[in-house]
Amino acid sequence: MAIPLVPKLLRAHLAELAAEDQRHDGRGRFVGRDTELKLNCLPRAEGSAKVRMGDTIVYAGVKFQIMTPYPDRPNQGGLMCSAEVRPVAGRNWEPGPPSPESIELGRVVDRGIRESGCINTEDLCLIPGEKAWQVILDLFAVSDDGNLFDAFALAGIAALKSAVVPAERFEVGEDRPLGVAKTPVMCSYHKVGGRFVYDADKREELGGDERIHITLGDDDHVHSLQKGLKGIFTATDFAEIMDQARSRCAELRNLIDEKLEGE
Amino acid sequence: MGGYGDVQCIDENGIRLDGRTKDEVRPVHIETGVVPVADGSARMTWGLNDVIAAVYGPMEAHPRKIQRQDRAVLDVRYNMAPFSTTDRIRPGFNRRSREISKVTAEALESVVLTELYPRSKIRVEIEIICAEAGTRCAGITAASVALAHAGIPMSDMVVSVASGKVHDIVVCDLNKEEDNYGEADLPMGILPNSGELVFLQMDGDLSPDQFQEAWDYNMEAAKVIHAEMVRALKGGDE
Repeated sequence: MAIPLVPKLLRAHLAELAAEDQRHDGRGRFVGRDTELKLNCLPRAEGSAKVRMGDTIVYAGVKFQIMTPYPDRPNQGGLMCSAEVRPVAGRNWEPGPPSPESIELGRVVDRGIRESGCINTEDLCLIPGEKAWQVILDLFAVSDDGNLFDAFALAGIAALKSAVVPAERFEVGEDRPLGVAKTPVMCSYHKVGGRFVYDADKREELGGDERIHITLGDDDHVHSLQKGLKGIFTATDFAEIMDQARSRCAELRNLIDEKLEGE
Repeated sequence: MGGYGDVQCIDENGIRLDGRTKDEVRPVHIETGVVPVADGSARMTWGLNDVIAAVYGPMEAHPRKIQRQDRAVLDVRYNMAPFSTTDRIRPGFNRRSREISKVTAEALESVVLTELYPRSKIRVEIEIICAEAGTRCAGITAASVALAHAGIPMSDMVVSVASGKVHDIVVCDLNKEEDNYGEADLPMGILPNSGELVFLQMDGDLSPDQFQEAWDYNMEAAKVIHAEMVRALKGGDE
């Protein structure tokens, strides 16, 4: 991503607002933008979701391939998670090989899903040592108005939970739901004007400092953490956002469950 | 253009696999403003095709070597999302997407009044979210609407559509099976107000009469699609 000039005026403006505990779009510190989730919106994918958070719009699509299991894990399949932010998503995203920013996006989302253990990789084995399913989760940004992390994570887990293993097309049995036991959800906090806010938009990302991404699974277990960008934060700061993350993750988990029930 | 195997693309009554007659266009729907952070955007669904086009600019052209002193350049990228087809597509450019990007840019440069913006560039991003057949045509058409939505001056919009031949019958607006198994494919980019062309490709085998028939189908289909483009730009679904 090309690093745009950060207008000093924007930083100053955000700092002034922060001093009065306000945000430039009128939200409270820990209030997210309107979040829409749609399932099964990609007819060629085996599982899919579209998420809209304000003007940030992303898709997640699940595809399956047959792989040879890794020699050290002959009875397990695999999960691959890749994030692409192509120049369609904003004027600062450039074409070319994946940028460090989009690689970080994909890896942080991947860790949250993988480490939650929500996918039983032994279930993905077809013939030990020879054949196993590889689940590929592709995250694709259409419009980046900030906080792609949370949008990708939400779309990603929702797409996996709606995925059907296409066994009939590959002639290895009957189609069945992928079976995703848990629902890891990510909440991201950006430091803007000296304090952390939830679900920063593009202007807050540009005029802000470091960010912290928290992925919580069922029962509030922590599955991934990432601090990004330059900045210093305190244990008190962290305790506060962790507390906030617990309640917001539960809300988002409910949103996913509602949508899945509606299908 | 391969063999049919067991696939019968059109039955004895002239009805195609998706229920259309040979001269019908697949259902088309266009909406604008689908990429809120872009200067202009459009989404086109056309059969199972789902295509998003976004326009950024005019903006400074860099690297500088791409600048033209007397006009803007169009920087067009056509790309298929990894989940847009039955078999996953590995991310990144390939020879096919590069060629389609090139001919799309050339089609659109024929109508955009680039001389109004010397030394600048206009970025046109075409993303295929779901592919059925005729994604290049959908991409060109959606990009035209996105350019108009961005307020870029143009002499006309480009309507692109492909007709072809299956089982020796000429059919309008090929679907996936017809594209895979058929004997010919003739995509065209048409200026609806003048009937002129800015884009033309063809592969397969067509007799002179069949070629004319496919050509005429494209011209008729362009009118249907153009009406939907105008509807979308004039206020859409309200």
